[in-house]
This record gives sequence, structure tokens and C-alpha cells, in this order.
Amino acid sequence: MKRTNKAVPGRVENRGAKIPPAARWIFLILLPLVTAAACLCIGRIPLSPADVLRSIGAKLTGGEGGTMLVESTLWRIRLPRILLGLLTGAGLSAAGCAFQSLFSNPLATPDTLGVASGASFGAALGLLLGMKLVGVQLMALAMGGAAVLLTALCGGGGRRQGLSGVVLAGIMMGSLFNALISFVKFTADTETELPSITYWLMGTLGAAGYRELALGAPPVLFGIAVLLLLRWRMNLLPLGEDEIRASGVNVRLLRGTVILCATLVTASSVSMCGQVGWVGLLVPHICRMRFGGDHRKLLPASVFLGAAFLVVVDTAARTISPSDLPISILTAMIGAPFFIFLMRRTEGWRL
Amino acid sequence: MAAVKLTVEGGSFAYKRGVPVIENLNMSAESGELVAVLGPNGAGKTTLLRCLMGFLRWDAGRSALDGEDIRGIPEKRMRSRISYVPQARGNVTSLPAEDMILLGRIGKMGVFSSPGEADRKIARKIAGELGIGDLLPKRCTEMSGGEVQMVLIARALAAEPELLILDEPESNLDFRNQLIVLEALSRLARDGMAVIFNTHYPEHALTRASRSLILKKGGQSLFGETAKVVTEENIEEAFGVEAVIREFETPGNVYRSILPLRLSEGPKTGKKTGGNSVAVISVLFRDYELAGAVNALFHEYRDFIAGRMGMPSGEYHIINVILNAPEREILSLTDRLTRIGGVRVKATAAPEEGDF
Repeated sequence: MKRTNKAVPGRVENRGAKIPPAARWIFLILLPLVTAAACLCIGRIPLSPADVLRSIGAKLTGGEGGTMLVESTLWRIRLPRILLGLLTGAGLSAAGCAFQSLFSNPLATPDTLGVASGASFGAALGLLLGMKLVGVQLMALAMGGAAVLLTALCGGGGRRQGLSGVVLAGIMMGSLFNALISFVKFTADTETELPSITYWLMGTLGAAGYRELALGAPPVLFGIAVLLLLRWRMNLLPLGEDEIRASGVNVRLLRGTVILCATLVTASSVSMCGQVGWVGLLVPHICRMRFGGDHRKLLPASVFLGAAFLVVVDTAARTISPSDLPISILTAMIGAPFFIFLMRRTEGWRL
Repeated sequence: MAAVKLTVEGGSFAYKRGVPVIENLNMSAESGELVAVLGPNGAGKTTLLRCLMGFLRWDAGRSALDGEDIRGIPEKRMRSRISYVPQARGNVTSLPAEDMILLGRIGKMGVFSSPGEADRKIARKIAGELGIGDLLPKRCTEMSGGEVQMVLIARALAAEPELLILDEPESNLDFRNQLIVLEALSRLARDGMAVIFNTHYPEHALTRASRSLILKKGGQSLFGETAKVVTEENIEEAFGVEAVIREFETPGNVYRSILPLRLSEGPKTGKKTGGNSVAVISVLFRDYELAGAVNALFHEYRDFIAGRMGMPSGEYHIINVILNAPEREILSLTDRLTRIGGVRVKATAAPEEGDF
């Protein structure tokens, strides 16, 4: 052990030394808000900031807004979509971050326990049965919950298994539900149901309106809030089971709460907009590279950055192509190269 | 610091029925004492620690804290008295050392709260005492094994425990780092902490621990004063290694050291044990206050003492004692005398038959 007076190798202290922490947080909090405001103006029907401001002012004062086109684009189409983007982006990032720490695995995603696959199966089944959107959403929520419950039952119990049993069970559940999805697709009508199922599975923020948000937002917000409150305790998650117990913390309760919250967030996100890949992997890792493994910084940063990220990607998705591009295509196409670029510039990924 | 005493009474444990890992084990550790747990790989050292702390349930017997079964003590209160230092794994989190140490305070905080300035102060103080103050901003992933180990010890101490349990704290460390860790443990024990540690090195038990436990494969165990437990015979029996324990004299003190000779070829036959040896133990000290402790020890061994000479010589006190005792008693007395700080001890054994 070196005990010289030389400072520990540079990077640690230099990191972020130029930006005061308070300014960094203000930036992070403003980022999704500013992004959302900007994205309200962008789209295939461009709205000028003046139009948007006037319309918002009208809503607040009850006065005369803009034209019908402006009004309906802004309030009926863009706002719910952007709210959904903020919510899902924040939620999936928080859930991904939680799972990566919980399983001490940098490749863990919100789907590790089979939640997203379960929820997707529920939605596909709902679509196959010709349900309305709310029905599809409820089916997705129920199946997502069922998937995690099954995972917990299969992988939990044992005396000395720890978390590896749960992860294995989760992977099994994931593939089981993926097989069921394939089965649903196989039986679906190729003219009508199959395209809608396939499109939905690829993820889109365009389908949901205020009604779906009203049903789907509370679980997401609740999950994020609890995770944020637990942010200091989450630093315990990557440690060994005995270590956590010895520190006087109830391991099962802590892990259970984190899993429950992350599950709620993921299932509810999937129920509103299908599978949105990459966010839960990419955003927490970017934040880890920047903020390290302390969840007091990492988790809030993931939430804010995730929200902004998904709104930007979704705005691109609805602007670039005349027919709404599925969002997972874009998150991967933007995410993967950006991630590799970041990984090569910093010292790589770790927990 | 309040005195604490952890005892195990008749503890037995088996993962599989009929294959005992630990059988009818008795041991104890008190404030101010360093207890070493020795045993070959797979003898159940870690299992023992997990039973001690109540992570595993004894099949029979119990662990008790100050006489009270730990199963009956509320989890939170027990964990605040006992801290645990796991084996430092290669891949820890990228938390900076300071936050890692602060995690030790978590048992004392509310569910949704974060550590405050008071906690931070305690963490810094402990790091300073352990000599790792300059590590605080460094991330655990960027530390050497020795540094991580010291941070983990600091984290355990941040909970302000009375009993510290460590799982092979000095394994995988180099020479110097082993000493740093062992010194820290000795210091903690001197300051009144009860310390139990697993170790692969009989030498560390010999030089550091006042009492030792040897676990053998198959569940048997031996517990007692280090000098009586960590002997050539017991090492051979538990590890299957023929070893010699010898004393090293350095200016100032006598150290006991162990040298493994060869793998043993089955049980030893014919050779000694049982007979008495004759030895002279010389004690020299300056501080008259120490005479009480020295004499108390001699009193304990009075049955073996054949003759005794005390002679104040200027500012020094010199006592020579002639012993006629089994070798292990001689070693034990020497060992215990050595542990009284400020006393210089030398033991000379009479040549045995055949030694010439």
C-alpha cells in the first residue's frame, strides 16, 4: 500500500473539477425541461416557439390560442407524446441502473427478470384478441407482473442460491415469454393483426394518449420516487449478501423493494409504448462513466438524462420519416455508436 | 467501550445431513482479545463465521453475546455490536473509499436518509487512525488488494462495533500489507475491541492471537490459548503437515515462528510428548508496575516452577525462573509473558536426550 504524499492518480480529482456541482445539477434538471420545450416545436408540422408560447399562454389564461392545427398538434399529439417520452426515458434508465447494481452486471437491463418480455406478451395477446388500447395496457401490466412473480418463485426460494438463481430464472422466463410472443405472432392474421403486433413490439410513443398516461404514469412515478429515496442504500446493492446483512440492513427487503420498483416502472412503460430498447442500458452507463458508482449522483443523473434522451430520440423518430419510425430502431442506431465512442474515450464500463 | 463476550456453546453445523462441518464447537472471544481461527481449506472456517454471526443457524448449540442467545437479540441491535469484514473480492464497486466507509454507518441511519456531516467526520477519523486518510477520494476499483482490505476494515469500524469478525483479512496480500492489516488488528484489540479472524497462516495466530481455534476436517475443533493449541502436533493433525515451531530472538523480543517441513506420512509414532522439560525463563523489565502482572502469571504456573530468583539491578528488574514442565506449558508461559508490553522475555530449554 503506498502511503506517499503524492495524490492518488489524477483522473479522480480532476473529473468535473471545472464545473461546480451545483451548476451540474441545475444543468441536469433543466436538460429534460428545455429538451421537452424545444421538441414541442419540432416535428413534421413545425411550430414556431412564438406559436407554442402563445398557445401555452392561452391555455393558462383561458384566452384565444392559435389555429386549430397548432392547437391540436400541440396538445393532442405532441404534449402527451413528449410527456410519455420523459416518463419512460426516466423510468427505464432508473430501472436499468437499479438492475445493473443489483446483479453486479454491467449488461443487466430492465428486461433481465423477464418483465419486458412478459409485458410484451400480454400486449401482443391483447392485440390478437382485438382489445382496445386500455385493455392491451392492462394485459401488459398483468403479464409483466406475472413474469416477475414466476421468476421470483422459480429463482428465489433456495437456501444458498443468492441472486444468480434469480437471474437464471429471469433469463428462462424471458425466453419462455418470447416464445409465447412468437406463438401469438404465428397465429395472428397476417393482414391485420400481425403488422400491428410487430409494430407495437418495436416500440412507439405515438400510440398513447392522456388516458393511457393516466393509467400508466402513476406506477412509473411511484417506482422512480421510491428508487430515488433509496438512492444511498442502493450503494449496498453490488456488495455481497453477508456484507449487506452484517451492516444491519434487511437484504431481502432492500432487494425486493428495488426489484418491485424497477418492475413496476418497466412493465408500465412497456404497457404504454412497447419495448424501447437500449435506454436502460445506455443511459445508466453514460452516467456511470461521468458520475461513478455512487447512486446519490448516479440515479438522479440517470433519471434526468434518460428523460431528455428519449424525448430527443422520439422527436427524431417522428420527424425523419413520414411514417413514425419504431423507436427501438433509433435508440439502437444512435445509442450503440455513441456508447462505443464514449467507452473508448473513457476507461470503459464498470459498476 | 463496554466489554463484550461472544461465546459458542456446543455449536454443530452441517450443510448435508450426516456430513458435519462443525461438531460440538466451543469457543469465546472477549474485549481486548484477538482470536485466530485456523484450519485447512474446506474445514469450515467461513461457515463458522457465518454461524457465529447468525447468518447460518446452528443445528445444535448456540452463539451467545454476553450470555444472551443471538437469535433472541433484535437484528438491528446485534448488528450494531458486531461488524463483519468479508474477504476482499477482486471486483468491488467503483465507489470512492469515503463513500464505501460511510456505508458502514448505514445501520445507524433511517431508511431514506443519507449520511450527514457527523457520519463523514467519523469516517474520516477512522480512516486517519488506520493510516488510509489519503485514500478517501480514490475509487475502490482503482485500489490495490491491500488498500481495499483496509477500506473494508474501516467500513466495519465505522459502525462503531464492539466485536469485529474478519474473513481471511490478510489472504492475497503481500508481506508488507499483511503486516499493515495485522498491526491494525492488534492495535484494535489493544484498544479494547474483541477481534476474531480467519487465517491460513498459523504464524499469524502464533504471533498475534492470544487464543486460537483450530478446525479440522470432519468437524472436530480445538480451542484455547494459542501456545497450547497451535503446536507441532496439532498442526500435523489438522493440516497433515510436519512443521516445527521455533523461537526467533530479535533485539527486544522473542517471536515464535513456524516452518513447514514436509507433508506428514500418516500418524507419528514413538516420538515424545508427555515428558517434562527443564527450562529457564528470564524476564527483564524497567517499569515496576509490571511486576504485578508478571508475578500473577508465575503464580498461575507455580506448580511447574522449580526455582526462582529475583534481582533488582539498578533501574531494571530481573527475574529468573526455572521450570520443570511439559513443553507446551513452557511455551505458553513464555508466550503470555511476551504479551505483557514492556517486558523482555527469554526462554532457554535444557537439551533433550539425543539432541546432541
